[in-house]
Amino acid sequence: MPSRIGVYVCHCGTNIAGRVDSEGVARHASGLKNVAVARDYKFMCSDPGQDMIIKDIREMGLTRVVVASCSPRLHEKTFQKACQRGGLNPFLFQMTCIREHCSWVVADPAEATAKAKTLVAAAVSRVNEHEELYSRVEAVHPDVLVVGGGIAGIQAALDIARSGHKVHLVERGPSIGGHMTQFDKTFPTLDCAACISTPKMVAVAQEPNINLMTMSEVVEVKGYVGNYTARIRTRPRYINEDRCTGCGLCMEKCPKSVPSEFEEGLGKRKAVHRNSPQSVPNTPVIDPASCIYLVKGKCGACKQNCPSEAVDFEQQESFLDVQAGTIVLATGFDILDPTPLSQYGFGRYPEVYTGLQFERLNNAVGPTGGKILMKNGQAPESVAIIHCVGSRDKAYHEYCSRVCCMYALKYDHLIKDKIGHHARVFNFYIDMRCFGKGYEEFYRRVQEEGVTFIRGRPSEVTDQSLSVEEDGKLIVVAEDTLLGRPVRVAVDMVVLCTAMQARHDASEVARVFGVSCGQDGFFLEEHPKLGPVSTATDGIFLAGTCQGPKDIPDAVAHASGGAGQALSLAARGEVSISPTVSWINPDICIGCKMCVGLCAYSAIEFDERRKVCVINEAMCKGCGSCAGHCPSGAAQVRHFNEKQIFAELEGLSQYVSPIRQPARADAP
Amino acid sequence: MGSIARIEVTDGNPVAALQGFCARLLADGEISAVLAPRRLPGNGGTMPALVADPEQFHDVDPLAPSFRLSAARMLTRLTRGADEGGLVAALLRPCEVRAFIELCKLNQGSLENTLLVSLDCPGAFTNADTGRFSGNRGNAEALLGFLRADGRGDFDGMQIARACRTCEHPTGAEADLSICLFGQDPAKGLLLMANTPRGEGFMTRLGLPEASDDGARAKALDVLLTERRAAQEQMFAETTAATSDMSGLSTFLSACVNCYNCRTACPVCYCKECVFLTDVFEHKPWQYMSWARQRGALKMPTDTVFFHLTRLAHMSTACVGCGQCSNACPNDVPVMELFKTIAASTQKAFDYEAGRDPGEAPPLSVFREHEFTELTGGLD
Amino acid sequence: MQELIMTPQMQGEPMPGAAFEPAIVAFVCNWCTYTAADLAGTSRMVQSPNVRLVRMMCTGMVDPKYIIKALLGGADAVLISGCHPGDCHYINGNYKARRRVKLLMEILPRFGIDSRRIKLTWVGASEGNEFAATVNRFAAEIKELGPIDTRSLPLL
Repeated sequence: MPSRIGVYVCHCGTNIAGRVDSEGVARHASGLKNVAVARDYKFMCSDPGQDMIIKDIREMGLTRVVVASCSPRLHEKTFQKACQRGGLNPFLFQMTCIREHCSWVVADPAEATAKAKTLVAAAVSRVNEHEELYSRVEAVHPDVLVVGGGIAGIQAALDIARSGHKVHLVERGPSIGGHMTQFDKTFPTLDCAACISTPKMVAVAQEPNINLMTMSEVVEVKGYVGNYTARIRTRPRYINEDRCTGCGLCMEKCPKSVPSEFEEGLGKRKAVHRNSPQSVPNTPVIDPASCIYLVKGKCGACKQNCPSEAVDFEQQESFLDVQAGTIVLATGFDILDPTPLSQYGFGRYPEVYTGLQFERLNNAVGPTGGKILMKNGQAPESVAIIHCVGSRDKAYHEYCSRVCCMYALKYDHLIKDKIGHHARVFNFYIDMRCFGKGYEEFYRRVQEEGVTFIRGRPSEVTDQSLSVEEDGKLIVVAEDTLLGRPVRVAVDMVVLCTAMQARHDASEVARVFGVSCGQDGFFLEEHPKLGPVSTATDGIFLAGTCQGPKDIPDAVAHASGGAGQALSLAARGEVSISPTVSWINPDICIGCKMCVGLCAYSAIEFDERRKVCVINEAMCKGCGSCAGHCPSGAAQVRHFNEKQIFAELEGLSQYVSPIRQPARADAP
Repeated sequence: MGSIARIEVTDGNPVAALQGFCARLLADGEISAVLAPRRLPGNGGTMPALVADPEQFHDVDPLAPSFRLSAARMLTRLTRGADEGGLVAALLRPCEVRAFIELCKLNQGSLENTLLVSLDCPGAFTNADTGRFSGNRGNAEALLGFLRADGRGDFDGMQIARACRTCEHPTGAEADLSICLFGQDPAKGLLLMANTPRGEGFMTRLGLPEASDDGARAKALDVLLTERRAAQEQMFAETTAATSDMSGLSTFLSACVNCYNCRTACPVCYCKECVFLTDVFEHKPWQYMSWARQRGALKMPTDTVFFHLTRLAHMSTACVGCGQCSNACPNDVPVMELFKTIAASTQKAFDYEAGRDPGEAPPLSVFREHEFTELTGGLD
Repeated sequence: MQELIMTPQMQGEPMPGAAFEPAIVAFVCNWCTYTAADLAGTSRMVQSPNVRLVRMMCTGMVDPKYIIKALLGGADAVLISGCHPGDCHYINGNYKARRRVKLLMEILPRFGIDSRRIKLTWVGASEGNEFAATVNRFAAEIKELGPIDTRSLPLL
């Protein structure tokens, strides 16, 4: 029986109809093969729009539905559900995009309308070949894997754990806490970072539903939404966490000192070390690269002095597989290394600091005990703060790093507060971006504290003085673009507001989890507006700065969002798995096994008895690597089979004008 | 180079000598049957036969220039997944050996279960000419003359098939054992060469007299290959010129009636059911009408050019150039010319040669991270 | 039963003197290039209207037959576009697609189908601008090349 197709062309207000003659497209569609009804409507995705489809299915006996509107990536599910409510299998539906791919990008209305007609014809032709398919329902493993133990990972883990679900929290470093534990005060309220983050870290340690794994990384992820298996590699800490009391004697006795990463190179740490007494876990860690015993086989001072016999040089790297239904990625960010921006002299002039180093200078447990001091032990009389270092800069990162304006203001205040009002502070900025709650107010307050703001990106920081006043100082050379004249500002100290950037290994991590990175290098969310925490991979969510630069409140909110998404799946307990996977017709398959080797998921097995290849539907992701090769067409992807693609091509080619054979010249 | 032995020919009858050789193979406990060409009743040339009784070799004739069917596919049926019974010894032309190796890569047959014996191949006549050659009708002198010509020249005013004239692989070094004709006097004796450990084992057990290579074979082969490569070049040039645009290709294939004989005869077209025979290509009447209206006129049957282009995509990398496609075509479409020409270029593109090495994976079954970046403007 | 009704204008019958408007079929993967096309749309990046997308889940499911069929059906060119190497949503589907395109590149140009009519590109999900630029460049290139032979041949 021929199908009865309903075609629905959306105006999307004026988004489509402003360029495409939606009514004309519907009229045209009504003349296409097997089309029983074609309508246009202002908003197809609205309730009345969906009801129109449902009513037509019921009253006109439609057996197929085509909607021409926005991208199927937005509303395919909406309309599939509408079909289902009308009693039609959701896969007897085809959606074609006449907004993103047509009305919004084709300048000429006639051309846009012609293109829309073609796209609708292709969809109509294709939908004829659609088959009923039924989704599979799979159980969702109740546990959640959270990757990264910074403030975002902590927030996500706590949110999930408090709902009663078990969380595996994996942290690469020896302690959770992330960058936030390096900060001193936080803008704009100036509360102490440690005071607000420590309780959260402790809560993680005390939460029975959280299985915290530090020194650990996820190296492989298998499975699919609801049923992930992650392989976790744990590097040796060389100190037994169960025995260690955190007394710190080992660190006292350790004879080896090296520059501290946590102090951003400004201070030293021992080979056996701990970021801070608030570290969670508070067990120290032995760095195998600097430990004398682990390098040379001699020393063992820590081991001899440990009262609880917790030091264990025999610890080995270990692997553990954990099951989880969903995964939250909270892998954070790196700070741009400003060395390549050689005009600012970082690494060349000792008094040029990164923002994070300056945070340590302010931190009560930092290298200077919280005093802002130069390397000579004196407090600076004047400080220049250079904004947008490596951000808003096509040579490095085009994006705005979002937090620098605000932490610069925080530094302004801290300098005035700690050194005294006489200290002069100069901000070199491009635009001040103080958009958050209480941010603009804070900006005003700092301005009132007598801080100088110079609009202009400095061209260099130099020690070449041109006057006596400049002697022995660092001179920031810039153009004040508001006054339109060059300026030279001599200061004792320069702070570079370096950009937040994606982790150096973000793309490798993305591969492990099967998510994508955007052009900026951060993990790519499913939709920039409506899917900021989900990814294109079902069951994997984002939290915090791994998705893009964020300040603490935004990172925490984002993390709670990711946790909520993960929880909604975990709480429901089941997930419907798309039936659009591959199928191998055993009557056609001749068992050449080529597809077995092409399958990236080991989802194809060879049935020795029948001598044919068989798809394991639970493992198949529907990529069609098998179908793209199978010469006999035995392997087909459901909903993307040969007949359907050929029909779509046929629909498109109807509009290719053939150049007709000329009538023969010798014809009468 | 492996060991060499001599197959003695008595009474100037090499066919009888090879019948004896087959019987000796079968006498080995490990061989359960021999697959070899056998003369058909009348003057119809030969077809493969599976001989399990040593008394039944009297009509076997591996030397007749008759090639009605590539035995490669037959051999897959005998060896596929077989784990019982012994080995099948198969006397094959080199192109059949290479086709069989391709099929084994595709899990259609098993090299484990077979002893491959190839014969130096002077070529064969087309099906149309096979019965017209007197050597195929019992004229022993004509056959000897054919064999002595080492694959070159005219016979009864006819040439061997063009696929054979343009074949650059007339010896089957990929087989376990090779029977060498080139440069030998077939009335006196032939050489047997072992190419693999399995071949060596059989050579020892067969107890044939040892022999040495006097270089005559290499010399004859050299002359033959020079001639054949030139013929191949000419064929490639002619075919390329004739099909240099879609109109030319369409003309080239215009007599195609969608009978799919070429794909049935093709040894490496291994699908159980060709996709062109599935319902994917069962167009509805209105579809034809719509095409006809759109174009003014519609050539029937449809999908002929599509079929050949797709078949080129599917199997040109596995094409061994045996020419059975052309042999099978009822309308004399020069299928072999087209496929062999394209196969040369697709196989070269992937640095692949069909049947060369059982360990070489078919090009479309593998991929590398860094390759063919020229396709995307050097980006990878 | 209604038949397909087509007015000459809808068929794209070239108006006398009108410039040649190529028909280009693009097989694009859902996760990268289709997403990039969406982004280009959302960002209102004006594109030549000649390219029609066929949404695939992965370039790895693009059977060479589809490309042949499109070209025989009179498409003046075919674009196959997926995720960058290493970024494939399905791990390595794009590598398999690349081999298949390579194969066709050895076959079709020998029959006079200009190799520029078959294009493989990698356009990632966030590269809306790159997608629009690819479409515009490709359309301009094919416009220059003129109509494909198959438009005037009774092939199928």
